[in-house]
Amino acid sequence: MKPTSGFHRVAHFAILLLSLSASIGLAANDASSPWEKPAAALAEQIAAILGPAQAQLIIRNNSQIPTNEIPVIRRLLEQDLKARSIQASGAESANIIRVTLSENLRERLWIAEIIEGNETRLAMVRVEPASLQQQASISGVTLRKQAVFTTLQPVIAALQTADNLVVIEPEEIAIFAHSPDGWKEQTRVGIGQKRPLPRDPRAVVYPAPNGQGFEAWVAGMSCSGSPQPSADWTIHCRESDDPWFLTPPQSTQNGVSADMNIQVTPLRAFYNSARDYFTGVVTPSMGADLPPFYTAVLLPRSDGGGLLLNGIDGKLMLATGGALKAVSGARDWGSDFVLLSSGCGAGTQIVASGSGEATADSLRAYDLPALEAIPASAPLTMDGTVSALWSAPDDKSIFAVVRKPAAAGQNDSYEVDRVTANCN
Amino acid sequence: MLRQTAISCLVAALVLPAGARTRPHYGGTLHVEVEGDPWQRSSGLARSLVLDGLTAMSPDGTAQPALAVDWKSENGNHRWQFRLRPGVHFQDGSLLNSAAVVASLTDICGAGCPWTAIRAIGSSVIFTSDSPLANLPELLAGDDYRIALAGAGNPVTAPVGTGPFQFTAFSNGILTLAANENCWQGRPFLDAIEIRTNRSIQYQWLDLSVGRADLVEVPAEQLRQAHDQRLTVVAASSVSLLALAVSDSGALANPNLRAAIALAIDRGALSNVIFQKQGEITASLLPAEVTGYGFLLPAERDLNKAHELRGGVAPPLLTFAAEGGPAMQLAAQRIALNLRDAGFNVQVVASGASQHVDLTLRRVALESIQPQPALESILRAAGLAIQVSESTPEGLYKIERQILDAHTLIPLLYLPRAWAVGGRARDLRLSLEGTPQLANVSLSDVQPEAAP
Repeated sequence: MKPTSGFHRVAHFAILLLSLSASIGLAANDASSPWEKPAAALAEQIAAILGPAQAQLIIRNNSQIPTNEIPVIRRLLEQDLKARSIQASGAESANIIRVTLSENLRERLWIAEIIEGNETRLAMVRVEPASLQQQASISGVTLRKQAVFTTLQPVIAALQTADNLVVIEPEEIAIFAHSPDGWKEQTRVGIGQKRPLPRDPRAVVYPAPNGQGFEAWVAGMSCSGSPQPSADWTIHCRESDDPWFLTPPQSTQNGVSADMNIQVTPLRAFYNSARDYFTGVVTPSMGADLPPFYTAVLLPRSDGGGLLLNGIDGKLMLATGGALKAVSGARDWGSDFVLLSSGCGAGTQIVASGSGEATADSLRAYDLPALEAIPASAPLTMDGTVSALWSAPDDKSIFAVVRKPAAAGQNDSYEVDRVTANCN
Repeated sequence: MLRQTAISCLVAALVLPAGARTRPHYGGTLHVEVEGDPWQRSSGLARSLVLDGLTAMSPDGTAQPALAVDWKSENGNHRWQFRLRPGVHFQDGSLLNSAAVVASLTDICGAGCPWTAIRAIGSSVIFTSDSPLANLPELLAGDDYRIALAGAGNPVTAPVGTGPFQFTAFSNGILTLAANENCWQGRPFLDAIEIRTNRSIQYQWLDLSVGRADLVEVPAEQLRQAHDQRLTVVAASSVSLLALAVSDSGALANPNLRAAIALAIDRGALSNVIFQKQGEITASLLPAEVTGYGFLLPAERDLNKAHELRGGVAPPLLTFAAEGGPAMQLAAQRIALNLRDAGFNVQVVASGASQHVDLTLRRVALESIQPQPALESILRAAGLAIQVSESTPEGLYKIERQILDAHTLIPLLYLPRAWAVGGRARDLRLSLEGTPQLANVSLSDVQPEAAP
């Protein structure tokens, strides 16, 4: 026998190793393959029709299954058919099994056409759709998001407490509690509006001043809820035109901002519940006549602070020192923005939703050193429309409701995301 | 491969890109132009704006609460109870109650209703039927079963409903609808919608280009032209089925002749020439996206087989009518040409002629993307009263195959429904059947109004 050279020995060993690892990989793939069950079910049906035989197996992919999965499916089908005494053969066979990997709006559908001479019979199995994975990209003064809660019900505001999640829907308030399986609904009550809702209802919800429970305002109503010793909740709603809190009462300690050591008085604003905007009347007065606005945040600034608001005409204004001043650099802003005490740079940033295409909304942090908004982070893609935005009680994170567009044949979903900032 | 674009259009969730975005403003009048009658059943824009149903169709094709908040079936789907939403008022201020719903539904279908009896009990409406009605909630979401206040307004041209807009006037061909301030779903953003009726497509597009219209129609056969003219188009694909109804009596009582007709039609030419490649060729009643088995039904023309099936039989002159506008007439002429190639003697006649018609070309709206109710609605629209009891792909395929093998209804193309929209309309979405959902539309150029 001719001695094998060192190079050949190494090459053979490498090939052996590669083959082995490939086999292990494939075996592992097959073992955990989501196609095992449907392949077995289809083979079962085919065997019931065809019986023990030889047949040419043809597979075509009319679905979104990646092409590299097809050999795995073929191998599984061949194995399952063989186990049922059907041998996959070449084109010379009189029998043909033509498997089409198809799909519809709800599910995958595998269809086998079993062709014996002039006769064609069918077998079908349904396959559950695979779940999608999504990733968010972030850079710069970095915003990060974390999904807190997902639901098919419209969410217009929410509050996360130590043990509970208070979710405000257009006509109901739901309390969720932690459970090993995630949030579990604990209580649900109707808000009981007597007047028709506006088309795009809004709400605010804050921790109750005593730290127990919550207070919420929705169009024409105010509600309060408190946990009971029995782990149940008591929730009361009443008709109310009282002004809404623009700043969470808990963001101040004895009326003093913890971060800036600046006197902050909780600010409230009257709300036009039929048209979904604040009328411009705030209490206490800011010293300037404010236009109707959608959103406002109280800026703790070293020059005395001010109220940053966006008018319903889309203009961004700063009410400070008894005057109303236009703010530039906000052309990319949508209607929603909030304050985030990130501790980065000046300590606080404004986080605004984008004004681009509504189905691909984003959040971006801005600094506002004077009267021009300067981007402080890259946009954070939200994979949907930001329909509500508010600060956490401690201002160190913010929450966003993202309406996620429906996949084919499904309802839109709503995701409550917590967004935090990391300093670079 | 199932086309993702087709799916995304089918769910009709097309949203127009917006410019700088604020929350939608209330106010303003939207100007819409249509070629036909906005009160027309199953596709009329005005009906969907003024009237609501007990249920509505969700994007996934299932029934969701509308005027009914919940429902339950008993006795093997022979008895259904729908509980009404409290506090809903008709546009004239009267309260919606179960008696009003019963009166409305009785007016709609009388003795021809799918149910045997309907009655009001408290705040519920009870339906009973001799045969099970498994899909009654989906059925009631259809346009035919929208609730109007009996005895108020003109039930055909000025009905009183509970929808987001209410009839105010119709003059000089313009229908004016005003916002329903007390709509149970919330007051719409728009103050009013003016629908100019019986406007030709050519004038609609002209009006859109000069800002006299905000929303105009784009027929399937002119979609390509609309894109060429850089119109902003929103479309829902595969929402209406173009099908040939074939009489099974008279000259076409012979099933082989009907099968020959099915094989003689060149769907590709129909799609390419008449509908400018905007139709999806189909040989199945339900779209392939809905079932996944569309490929099992061959759509290719087979003239030799058609000749073979005709077997030298020369049937007498066949009459052929097309329901609809010029494109449908052209399509009928094209099909007649195909049939003459296969040895048939065909004459295209005016639709609505009193004489017996052997072949009728019609469009049937797809009212659901759930296969079972969708198939039922197609069959109902085609005049075939067949209850679809199967919901599995295997069962539906068998039913479809059975219907198609009779060759009395030959599916040809699935066609889109499209609209062109001006620059100031925001957040326009289409419903499943391609109807614009104008209650959520706002105008970008309106000045926000003072607090009411």
